[in-house]
Amino acid sequence: MFGYARLEILRALRDKSYVIFGLGMPVLMYLLFTRLGAGAGTEWKVSAMVGLAAYGALGAALGSGNGVAEDKGLGWLRQLRILPLSPRQVIAGRVLTSAVTVLPAIGAVLLAGAVVNGVALAAWQWAALVVLLWLGTAPFTLLGLGNGYRLSAQATGLANTGCMLLLSVVGGLWFPVGAFPGWLRALSSWTPANRFAELGLSVTRGGAPALTTVAVLAGWLALFGGYAAYAYRRAARTV
Amino acid sequence: MAGTTGTVPAPSRAPGAGAAGAAVEFRGVTRSYGAVRAVDGLTLRIAPGETVALLGRNGAGKSTTLALLLGLLPPTDGTVRLFGGPPEAAVRAGRVGAMLQEGRPVPRVTVRELLTFVTGAHPRPMDVGEALELAGLGGLAGRRIDRLSGGQAQRVRFAVALAGNPELLVLDEPTAALDVEARRAFWDSVRGYARRGNTVLFSTHYLTEADEFADRIVVVDRGRVAADGSGADLRRRAGGALVSFDLSGAPTEPLAALPGVGAVEIRGDRALLRTADSDATVRALARLDLIRGLQVAPAGLEDAFLALTAPAPKETV
Repeated sequence: MFGYARLEILRALRDKSYVIFGLGMPVLMYLLFTRLGAGAGTEWKVSAMVGLAAYGALGAALGSGNGVAEDKGLGWLRQLRILPLSPRQVIAGRVLTSAVTVLPAIGAVLLAGAVVNGVALAAWQWAALVVLLWLGTAPFTLLGLGNGYRLSAQATGLANTGCMLLLSVVGGLWFPVGAFPGWLRALSSWTPANRFAELGLSVTRGGAPALTTVAVLAGWLALFGGYAAYAYRRAARTV
Repeated sequence: MAGTTGTVPAPSRAPGAGAAGAAVEFRGVTRSYGAVRAVDGLTLRIAPGETVALLGRNGAGKSTTLALLLGLLPPTDGTVRLFGGPPEAAVRAGRVGAMLQEGRPVPRVTVRELLTFVTGAHPRPMDVGEALELAGLGGLAGRRIDRLSGGQAQRVRFAVALAGNPELLVLDEPTAALDVEARRAFWDSVRGYARRGNTVLFSTHYLTEADEFADRIVVVDRGRVAADGSGADLRRRAGGALVSFDLSGAPTEPLAALPGVGAVEIRGDRALLRTADSDATVRALARLDLIRGLQVAPAGLEDAFLALTAPAPKETV
């Protein structure tokens, strides 16, 4: 599993599109959103920072599914299937890979927040923010992987981009949930991206995440995990 | 000659050996895609240490057979066993190494990085250096796989199949992208690996390759075993060798009665004898002093192949 993760991490970090879309985009969007409109409040700088770090992490996590779809086209998945690795080990290796590649995306936005926008948080808050945003990407990685194992390379790209946009917007990562109509606000709080950002926001407010937040995310984790495992088993069959 | 579905008993088949002794066993295996039966009631047993060629036309069911063997596809009907257990168990135990046909190089990793990963995944691997050497990749360890030539990438896939030090090596049309010299080197490596007591199963549509490198040829046609035996066995079924010589006015009547001779053809002053036993025929010709311009043509395995398989894929009613 670690050997596999090591190989995939090497592959991911050598991919130029990862560096551009995984790191560059969220930082750029954060700076645009907070610097363009004159006099953005401190609160917005903080919540946008968490939202866009979450968005960057989400993109990187879902994006790991694109690599999987590419692998399927290459016949690499079939090769993995005939190595002494169980489906669980392969998926765990991929999740681990994603965990490593997501970290720079989170770090880049937080760094931009601290350095460019002068967001001031206690040391424990920074640390907790990184760790929670990092752990919270697991459901999205599994969703991306499931799409990657299940769909063709092209369809995966579309599906993952679609999932990312939909989850980000509905989850309030781009615009504050406060601007939503009531019914959407209620729905939003059950979506994975919203709860994911809430993990981070609760820390910036100086508290621990609510139990329901963790429970909702755990539910999505189980659902997407099952989807990824099912999709992987089916994937190697198609020639 | 028997019908196209008859099988010649393989000489290497040990009588009375149980299923547990087989490296590979297919029993009545069928795999359908919708209404099409890619593999249709295939029964096959391969003993440990054998080198077996799976010979057939494109679309005969070779790749599907190998996918079933590796556990990549579940059979629609029948059972597949490797070393007495399900294919997944043998794969999980690192006893099988395979070179698949469709594999394209994995981007953004070097040859050494890939092989380090593969050996690390196996319980009893060979070391990376040995796999590199066996596959003829000595100078390419640091190169990125997606920047290699087709032939070099093919050797990488071979190295991946070998790296786990498997007891059963499965090669699906392994020499497709190799030139003549590389092909020679490739088969030398395979032979060396088989000599260590390992079982090798490869698919091919090159008759000469099957004849030259396998102990046993399994001819697959329309998803079934059409024939099973050594190259010599298969030739014998097609009428053996072709012996020809100058008649120089000798009578032609006794020729048909010579030992081994199946058919006689006279072309001008030259007699062509199709024989099942060329040694006996030549000996008899020598006694009759009919050896001027004598030629023994190694009878076409191609003839045998054509005789054993259906002329064109057609609907079976």
